[in-house]
Amino acid sequence: MSIISDVIESTKAIIKGMGVTFSYIPKEKWTVEYPDEPVTVQPRYRGQHLLHVDEHGREKCVACFLCAAACPSDCIYIIAADDPRSPEERIGVDERYAKVYNIDYGRCIFCGFCVEACPKDAITHGYNFELSVYNRADLLKTKDDLLITKQKQSPNYRVAFADEDVDSEYKEV
Amino acid sequence: MADLIKVTINGNVYETEKGARLIDVCREHGHAVPSFCYYSDLALQASCRMCLVRIEKMPKLQTSCTITCTDGMIVTTESEEIEKAQRAMVEFLLANHPLDCPVCDRGGECELQEMVFDWGGLEERFSERKNYAPEKFLSPMVANDPQRCILCKRCTRVCDEWMGEDAIEAGGRGAHTVIGTYDGWLNCSECGNCIEVCPTGTLLDATYRHQARPWELAQTITTCTFCSDGCQLSLGARVGEVMRAVARDRYVDGINGEFLCIKGRFAHPFINHEERIRTPLIRYKQGGRLVPATWDDAIGYTAARMRAIGEAHGADAFGIIGSPRLTNEANYALLKFAREVIGTENFTASDAFSLAPCFENLSAPLATHRDIRFAKTIILVGGEPEELQPLTGKQIRQAVRNGGARLVIFNSVPIRLKEQAAQFIHINPGTEDAVVLALAGANDDELAAGKLGVEAKTLADVRRALDETQGDCVLLFGSELSAAAMATLAQLPQLLGAREGRRFLLHPLPFYNNSVGAHDIGLMNAKLSVAQLLDQAGQGLRALYIAGSLLPEHLRGREETLRQLDLIVVQELFETETTALADVVFPAASFAETDGTFTNNAGQVQRVRQSIPPVHQARPDWMITAALASALNADFGFQLSASAVFREIAEHIAAYEGLRYPLLKDESRPVQAKHALAGARDMTGAIQEIRARIQSMNVTSARPTETPKVGHELFKPGTLTSKTPQFPLLYAGNPKPPTVLVSPLYQITVDANLRATTVAAGD
Repeated sequence: MSIISDVIESTKAIIKGMGVTFSYIPKEKWTVEYPDEPVTVQPRYRGQHLLHVDEHGREKCVACFLCAAACPSDCIYIIAADDPRSPEERIGVDERYAKVYNIDYGRCIFCGFCVEACPKDAITHGYNFELSVYNRADLLKTKDDLLITKQKQSPNYRVAFADEDVDSEYKEV
Repeated sequence: MADLIKVTINGNVYETEKGARLIDVCREHGHAVPSFCYYSDLALQASCRMCLVRIEKMPKLQTSCTITCTDGMIVTTESEEIEKAQRAMVEFLLANHPLDCPVCDRGGECELQEMVFDWGGLEERFSERKNYAPEKFLSPMVANDPQRCILCKRCTRVCDEWMGEDAIEAGGRGAHTVIGTYDGWLNCSECGNCIEVCPTGTLLDATYRHQARPWELAQTITTCTFCSDGCQLSLGARVGEVMRAVARDRYVDGINGEFLCIKGRFAHPFINHEERIRTPLIRYKQGGRLVPATWDDAIGYTAARMRAIGEAHGADAFGIIGSPRLTNEANYALLKFAREVIGTENFTASDAFSLAPCFENLSAPLATHRDIRFAKTIILVGGEPEELQPLTGKQIRQAVRNGGARLVIFNSVPIRLKEQAAQFIHINPGTEDAVVLALAGANDDELAAGKLGVEAKTLADVRRALDETQGDCVLLFGSELSAAAMATLAQLPQLLGAREGRRFLLHPLPFYNNSVGAHDIGLMNAKLSVAQLLDQAGQGLRALYIAGSLLPEHLRGREETLRQLDLIVVQELFETETTALADVVFPAASFAETDGTFTNNAGQVQRVRQSIPPVHQARPDWMITAALASALNADFGFQLSASAVFREIAEHIAAYEGLRYPLLKDESRPVQAKHALAGARDMTGAIQEIRARIQSMNVTSARPTETPKVGHELFKPGTLTSKTPQFPLLYAGNPKPPTVLVSPLYQITVDANLRATTVAAGD
């Protein structure tokens, strides 16, 4: 083989490759410029859990341990306690509340069984997905991290509307 | 063998004993019959209507819990008709039952929940408002949610039949029937058996309220550490904390069934109490402070001091005191330490009284609690079992109520059991020995009757009753008897002679969980009693090694002489009056943190199992002794295994010969130690001694006429029981708080003198 044919073959390959590249330039861009732009998540997205409160600000959780029982990776740890005060003063909606409610995100597989098991709709999956930490111990989230009144929501996501077609922009590819 | 009859159930023919109850026969042969109100040990109720069956030639469906099998009975337990009736019943039961299972403490082990899984409908057709009643407290121990009640009345029957208290009763009519108490507040012995038998979450343990769910708890079968009855219970523990003690059938099936007393059920919070001694403590200087130390330091320090004292004063300068509260293993290790490491016979156990005279002259087997339940004649001399040995008390009560036994009580105090007694013989205080003299023969009736303060004819009546007994005759005796009287009573079966159809059984009533075990191991028949040993302090005795604490009656008045000793080593759970004198304190593990065995007052050797790892730096008592021995260059060879200690016990103690842990595994078949039976002994010497003792007795006939208050012993806040905050409250008279909606613990404070003061709720 001569050096000339080598050059021709290489040039052909470059033109073919760059052709693919240039053909995308006029097309619509689908790269999400995270974290400069928020990520669109589906309404049913399973992010970091949220512990909810009722309209009076009382925790909905009654520490029934069903989430912990349903959890396949055994990542929920609860200590229940008795709250003998009157319903208005209570921490939770009922006499029993979770004194400690920990989720170990080093173990959690985001399966959503805890949410399904909850008889009081006290735990749901939120949308926070930025769970990376520098220290493994920080993966253990306590009630201060999980309560809806305390959990800081990331500015880096937006939830899609129910009728919004979130998936299709990926499907085209 | 009773007559056998044939019963056909679902087309299968079964042979069964005449008089068997149909529901039992069905269940025995695997035909599941649901029920709520049926409880085999209680009177019949037939209020839940779940056990309906079709019996041929009988109109309508019948409740199988009330039917006695007859020959040729043809029964169907499963059919469309029966299922329809049962499903309808569950629907009716749920008509007023709230859907608050997530908050209910019974959720997960609730019989109603289980029944609804099998027989409940998918939807509720009742749209009417449910009866509402707020959750409340019936006593510091019992929480009550009336709307969860399905009116099976197990609680009222248990309270009446087992406890004889009738403290809880059903009131109102129809749909408005509620389980309640007189005066709205439960003033009883607070045994909590109503909580145990409740099939729903109506009656709840107030000490375990809202603490955990049952499936989160690791249940460990073990033996109770309080009285000498040795009830089997199941400790529920979670992450190193004991949360509750139950005797529910689904967890444990011991000699006590589902029975427990207030101590067994509610007095467990001491296990994880914050006042537990956490590390070994050393008092380096006389009069100084106890300073925390490491195990190595404490063991090394103790060993060095012991070695120095041994070299200076010899082996008999040491005294070793075991405890009737410790396991057999711990006491055996102490005995071995005394004999092999120190080389002294100065050992004993800190029990209130010694059973040695009884066991040396034992001429009849020990009565198990089942024997008492089915005995025909029961003689109780002294003691107060309903307060000090509640299971024995309950068995006596049931023997009379359900078995028709004849109960004769000799007591100087009109104890509560006298309600059940066929004959209550009120004797002068301190004359219990005269009872034994009278039972042994008619020769001394004049003398005995005179001192007892009863008529001679009464004594003759009791002897005649003993003569006429057909079946088991149980002799129970308390701590009041002198050594000679105890020996004579133990020989009574021989003195009265054997007769066809009559069997004598003995049942001592010691105070502590392992009093019998401490005797068996050999600590109690040592050459010195505790008092004698302690009295040598400052003379021959230079050092004491005490496991557990000394009893107040032994300690009081001897503090000064004990302080002069060179070394006092104590193994304890809490700081007590004894540890205040100690130079070295080792933190010991409680019964929930150690493996071992207890021997109860029926001679049954029962397992104690580890439920949680030892708290803080505590160690099991026998391990501490073994560590100390190894620091003194003696290897016990136990290698961290309680079963190895027990194997050695079995090799050395005749009564425990051949026993091993695997043989003691099944709590439903407790193994009785083989206490040697003495043949007929010549008791004239002992009888002479009793006679002389009685003759010289100066009797004051001031007999207490008032029945002692319920719980005067049970509620007494001791070292362990006072760690449950409810006990001081109960001992202060169990006052009714201003509101029953909140636990009285938040409303009433009890001061150091056990006087209750009411504070406003919420303070």
